[in-house]
This record gives sequence, C-alpha cells and structure tokens, in this order.
Amino acid sequence: MSSIAVPKRSPLSEALKGARHAASDYGSIWSWIATVDHKRIGILYGVSAFVFFVVGGVEALLLRVQLAQPDSSFLDPDAYNRLFTMHGTTMVFLVIMPMSSAFFNLMVPLMIGARDVAFPRLNAFSYWTFLAGAIFLNASFFTGDILSGNLGAPDGGWFGYAPLNLPEFTQGHGMDFWMLGLQMFGVASLAGGFNFIVTILNMRAPGMTLFRMPVFVWMTLVTSFLIIFAMPVIAVALFELTFDRLFDANFFNAEAGGNPLLWQHMFWLFGHPEVYILILPAFGIISEILPTFSRKPLFGYAFVVFSGVAIGFMSWGVWVHHMYTTGLGTVANSAFGITTILIAVPTGVKIFNWMATLWGGSIRFRAPLMFAVGTVAMFTIGGLSGVMHSMVPSDFQQQDSYFVVAHFHYVLFGGAIFALFGGIYYWFPKFTGKLMNERLGHINFWLMFIGFNLTFFPMHISGLLGMPRRIYTYNSDMGWNLWNLMSTVGAFFIAVSVLVFLFNFFRSLRRGDESGPDPWDARTLEWSIPSPPPEYNFKEIPTVTGLDDFWNQKYHEDETGRIVPTLAGGSAEAEAPEEEDESEHGHGIHMPSPSYMPLIASSGFPIVATGLIYDYALVPVGFALILIGIFGWVLEPATEEE
Amino acid sequence: MKRPTTGFRLRRLRRLIPLLALVALLVLFLSGCDTDTPQNTFDTKGEVAEKQADIFFLSMWPAIAIMILVLGGLIAIMLRFRERDPNHIPPQVHGNTRLELAWTIAPAILLLAIGIPMVATLWDLGREPSADAFRVNVIAQRFSWEFQYPEYTDEDGIPLSVFDQNGFHIPAGREVAFYLQSVDVIHSFWLPKLGGKLDVVPGQTNVLWLRADEPGSFSGQCAEFCGLFHADMTMTVTAQPQDELDLWAAEMLE
Repeated sequence: MSSIAVPKRSPLSEALKGARHAASDYGSIWSWIATVDHKRIGILYGVSAFVFFVVGGVEALLLRVQLAQPDSSFLDPDAYNRLFTMHGTTMVFLVIMPMSSAFFNLMVPLMIGARDVAFPRLNAFSYWTFLAGAIFLNASFFTGDILSGNLGAPDGGWFGYAPLNLPEFTQGHGMDFWMLGLQMFGVASLAGGFNFIVTILNMRAPGMTLFRMPVFVWMTLVTSFLIIFAMPVIAVALFELTFDRLFDANFFNAEAGGNPLLWQHMFWLFGHPEVYILILPAFGIISEILPTFSRKPLFGYAFVVFSGVAIGFMSWGVWVHHMYTTGLGTVANSAFGITTILIAVPTGVKIFNWMATLWGGSIRFRAPLMFAVGTVAMFTIGGLSGVMHSMVPSDFQQQDSYFVVAHFHYVLFGGAIFALFGGIYYWFPKFTGKLMNERLGHINFWLMFIGFNLTFFPMHISGLLGMPRRIYTYNSDMGWNLWNLMSTVGAFFIAVSVLVFLFNFFRSLRRGDESGPDPWDARTLEWSIPSPPPEYNFKEIPTVTGLDDFWNQKYHEDETGRIVPTLAGGSAEAEAPEEEDESEHGHGIHMPSPSYMPLIASSGFPIVATGLIYDYALVPVGFALILIGIFGWVLEPATEEE
Repeated sequence: MKRPTTGFRLRRLRRLIPLLALVALLVLFLSGCDTDTPQNTFDTKGEVAEKQADIFFLSMWPAIAIMILVLGGLIAIMLRFRERDPNHIPPQVHGNTRLELAWTIAPAILLLAIGIPMVATLWDLGREPSADAFRVNVIAQRFSWEFQYPEYTDEDGIPLSVFDQNGFHIPAGREVAFYLQSVDVIHSFWLPKLGGKLDVVPGQTNVLWLRADEPGSFSGQCAEFCGLFHADMTMTVTAQPQDELDLWAAEMLE
C-alpha cells in the first residue's frame, strides 16, 4: 500500500490521522468507538440491547410488585404510569429491535460470504444514533425529582394515544423525550434497513443465489423492507405530534378540529408491520437452529421463505384490529377481521414446517434447541390467542384487557425473546471461540420457561375476568388477586433465569471450553471460518454451489444412499481452517478504515432534541455536529494511509 | 446404554411439568368461575355479552385443540427423534409439496369456518339501536363518568344528570342506547357482564347498545388508558324494572 501515490489529503483527515491511528489498534476502547467492523458493531448492539433488557425487566418487576396485591401503595399512580410506558417502549425499541440488529450485523455478512456490510460507516452511524436515542429517552427519568420518587419519564403509554399525548394532559417533558427519542430510533432503523437490503442483494458470495440464502438472511431482508416502509409512517406521526406539542399545531386536538384517531391510524399502520419486524428475525433464528440440532435441512425451505414474505405483505393490511373498539363501523371491522384471521395461515405454515424439520431428525437437546423449541411452543399459544383476538365481537370484551397483555407477551417474549436467547447460545461460540455451559443453559431455559408461563398464562384469566390493562391498582373483591399474585411470582422466576444467563455468559467468556470453528456440526457458511472470525471474515471468498453448502462439503451420500462424512474422522476436521501465518494487519485484504465521523454525526441528534425541549439555541449546535460528521465522513479517504 | 434412557425419562417428566401446570391453571379457572367476579366476561347478563361469549368459545375450542395438537406433537417428536447415536445422520428430507398444500389449505378453511359466524354476529350486534331503546348520554372525563337521561327532564327541560356517587341506573329488560362523548381524552366504556367495550373519543359520538336481561348491579370501568387515575375511573350501573327506574328518576329530579 505504501507504494501507492499519496493522494492530496484533506486538512480534516490530516488532523484526524493521529486519532485514527489509535483507533486501528485492535483492542483499545478507541477501536470500539471508531469501529466500522460489522462484528464489533453487532456486539455493541447486543450488549446495549441486553443492558436495556435488564432495565426494562427491572421496570417490569416494579410493576409486578405493585400489582401483586390489591390496593397496594408500593408505587404511586404517576410512577406506575411512567414505568409501564418506559417498559413497553424499552422492550420494543431498545431491546428486541436492537437485539435483532445485533444478529443482522453479526450473522448476515458471515452467512452470505461477505467481508462486511455494504456501508460500514452507515452501519456505525446506525448504532450510535440508536444508542444516542436510547440514552436520551432514559435521561427523561432524571428530569423529574427522582430522589423523591417523581420520575420524569413519559407517561402516555408506549403507543402514546392522542390527545393524551398533548401537553395539556401530560406532566413534564416525558412525552417530548419519548417522541424525539423514537424519532432517533427511526433514523437508526432506516439506516440499518437500507444497509442490509443493499448488503443482501449485492454482496453475496459467488453462487449464492437468493434461494441458496439461509432463512435467517431471508428474514433479515423481509424485516429490512418492513423497516424502510414502516418507519417513515411513524416518523410522520411523530413530526405531527412534535408540531402539536412544541408549536401548538392541532393535528390531534379534537377541540380545534384535529382528529385523535389520525394518530391511531398512523401509529398502527406502523405498529402492525412493527410486530413482524420484531418477530421475523426470531423466526429466522429458529429456522437456523432447528435444522442444525436435528441434523436435517429445514423442511419446506421455499414455503418458509414465501410464508415470511407473505406475512410481510399481509402485515400492512391488518392495522385496524388494534382499533376495533374506536367506532370505525361494522364494514371496516369485518374487513380487517377477515384479513387478521388470514394472517394466521402463513404463520401456521411456518410452525408446521418447523415441526416437520424436527420429525425424522436426530435431535440433540442442547440449549439453543431448547430455546428454539420453546419459541415454537410459546409462539403457537400466542398465535392462537391472536386468532381469538381477530374475532371482532369477542375482541370487544378482550380489547385493552389483560388477555391482550398475555397475548402479546406470548408472541414477543415467548416468541422473540426466547428465540433471541437461543440465538445467543447458538452463535456465542462463533464470536468468542468458547462454548457456553450446557447445564447452566438448561437451568436458564427451564427457569425462564416456567417463570414465563407462570407470569403470563394467568393474565389470560385475569383479562377474561374483566381486568383492564394499565391500571395501577384494583379492589380486592374483583376476583383478580390470585392471578396477579401468580404473575408476580412468575416474574421473579424470569429475573432469576436472567441472572443465571448472565452468570453463564461471563463465566463462559472466561472459562468456557474451546469451541473450534464448528461446534454444532452446522450447515451454514459462518461455521466454515475460525471462531472468532478474523477481521476480514473470509480469507478467500467462498464459491457456493447449493443450499446448506457447508454441510454438503462435509457430508455426501454413499452408494447405498446413507449420509456419510466426506472426510474420515468426522465433521470438524473437514473444514478446519488453515493455520493463520499472517498477522492481523498483514493479511493484505482491503478493509474499510475506522472512523469517528459516524459517532460525531449521531451525537448531534440528542443535542438537537434537547434544544427543541429546553433551549432552541442548542438546535443549530446539534445540526452543526451532524453536518460536520457527514462532511468529515464524505471527505475522509476510505482507506487509511500508511 | 442404560443411563441415557433414564436421563431421557427424567427429561420427559420435566417437559410435562409446564403442560401439567397449564392444565391445572385451566381447571382452576373453570372451577373458579362461580366465585365473586363482578367483571367476569363469561358471567353474561345480557344479549350482547352472551353472543360475544359464544364467539369467544367458537374460537377458543379450536384454539385449544390446535394447541394440544402442536404442543403434544412437539413433545412426541422430541422424544421419538431424540439423538440415540451421535454418528447417525438422518435422511436429508427437504420437503413435501402435498403436505405443504395440506397445512396451508386446511387452516385456511378452518379459519374461514369460524370467520363466517364471526362476521354474522358482528353485523347482528353492530346494528343501530332500536327505536324504542332507552337513551343515555354518557359524558366521560378524567376520571369519572356522568350519565344524562334525556327521557327525564326537569321543568326547564334540562335532562337529569347523575354522577357516580349517586349511582347509575338503567332499565332492565329494555335495550339501552349509550351515546358516548368525551370532554378530554379517549376513554373506553365497558360493562363486561352486559357486553364489550366501545371507546369514547373526543370530537365524535359513538353509540353502544346493551341490554340487561334481569335487574341487577353491574360493575364496569374505563378500559382505555386516560392518565393518572385511569384505574379509579370505575362505575356501578344498576338495572331495575322501568317503573322503579321512573320513581328513582323522579326522586333524583327533586
């Protein structure tokens, strides 16, 4: 590289050269801050999402303690309302979405045989903008007098219905933090969505046609399309709310001729595709785990893929089922009732195909499999109660009751969170070179499985007994006491299971058994490279000849039709990576250089947002930072000069 | 190879625990129906709630059947196809188009089969209130309800207005049309034993009709989060024969 003629340097890149040199020192904190490596960004996403999972979980525990008994005064109503608003917002936007992004980042380039995503710096920008929004949103807690128990967090519920989200009905700046924070998550998600669409469409290894892609990559593609179409919808809603809240516009104020239901239409037109943004990555993960641990290919690959695409399309035509009780009329309710019923068909197809994948296999009861099967089972229950919700007349009773709370926790916790845990157990060895402890993994699974059902199954019953959601307390004579107590006890089981997971995680990081490149005898490309993968992933870009290419390299049919290992001595050696004889920096493979610019651009957003709330003088400062970041990013040479 | 067998037996038992727990919960629930549950959606006291409960069971029984099928199937598959020989590689089956068509079409038929009566009930209950319905104007505000009775007016023609501390009253055995209006945010009007809820949206008047078959007292509460004391926005509605109701109204007007 040194022989290449030095191009004219921009003054900015000259100034930052020293800093960037520090950033390329692998292992320093600066190297994480300036990283554009998809694997490191994935780890940053995952760790951040888990931190917020704990935060959202603690919020849930506080809510459950308050509801354990009738007429409890553990929390006052104000704190309760703010905590459930933050619990919902956190779990949707700060946990499941970024945790899915973590897996997109970690796995997609490895699974398609690429060295990074299409736009590595945009990827870093996406992460830092997400983190900026997450910290900004949670900073709202401190805008109240937190020591005396007055939280400043938003108080309008996670779907922030109008006109309750307008200043005359909210206390403090919580909802301002909420709407501006969500806007930042939108920016982050859009950047990520475009990035992964381009990556998947353009950066596949030679021979990897669309129908040779692992299902996880397919689900990432569908999810990314949903993101780029859904996020602008909520962005418009949030901009209108921003105008209403900050500049006295009247989009949602009925008194001034605005329409409160406009908010609901836009929120749920975003919100229902969002549900599938949350669950499709999980479907992708279990579609990888189940074949590996039953040692069979995914049953009905094309049907699983197409049902995912079908769900993606259909998710745009069901939003009114969140609004059956708003008085839209019988025609609208009938139409959306039928579309909602029918979305169960492609979902059912997936469940049956997963069962058929296990059928006839040689099933290994490892922790990832336990979580994947748990996902199928729990999502089935959540899906069935979803069908029950689509029945409009009975939904008039269930709407906004605990029956709904039970339903969406079965879908989002039993479905998405269980699958994400399975994904962590499954791919942990790939990124650490260590195996997680199996025994602790099983303890983790069973505690979480039992705790989950103990928490959320009774909510079906309390809901049918007429308990509305979002109430901070209830009378003792409603017949809800036992069910609520059970839910609270279950919530603590879940908390313990998460502690077991954390213990297992850190213990395995330090003392886990060596995993080797392919501990599970798996089927997809990521297992053909060392664990952890080198910075450049693939020394040589592989050429793909079929679905489950890596498996086909390891096994073939002999004359009698039996499947036998291609090389004697078993699977792991079949594709053992060659010894690395070159140092990491001497590999001679062009990789994008680290850059601070994405972080600088992202850091402008919370400053703009703070300025909008407290002092307009900060707004230009924030915009200036965004502009500096973007210009620096554009002017910076793509490859570090040496 | 004795030890793995017992190991798997234990596992089998452990897998059954959560399922047994679910069943136990269900039994507890069904047997607990007769305890004091003032907002029980199954303890129906009127036509609307009854028909809605019918639709609930129409979807619940197939849902439970499918749940047992899928969960039972999963457990059976896990046990039957557990790994016995670590070197055994099963046949690499990629799919079966007939099966795929079967489990696409069969659920679609089942879903439409429950969807048709669902829509029928929706239209049945979604009609306008009948002409002789007893009209009540419900005014929702944070965090209380107000009932106005256009049928009962004082000498100035102002309708009788009642707040929850006085107790709300409606006729029994007669259709009641609730005209729902909000003065602030969105609320939701819900009397579970009489029927499902309808939102009270500022800027529009939603109309809900219900009927209490027998005299009685019905508990309800706001079902749409409306702010600080949403949980306290409760109400008790007493249904009584028309003549008693008229007497009560006359008393209230004085």
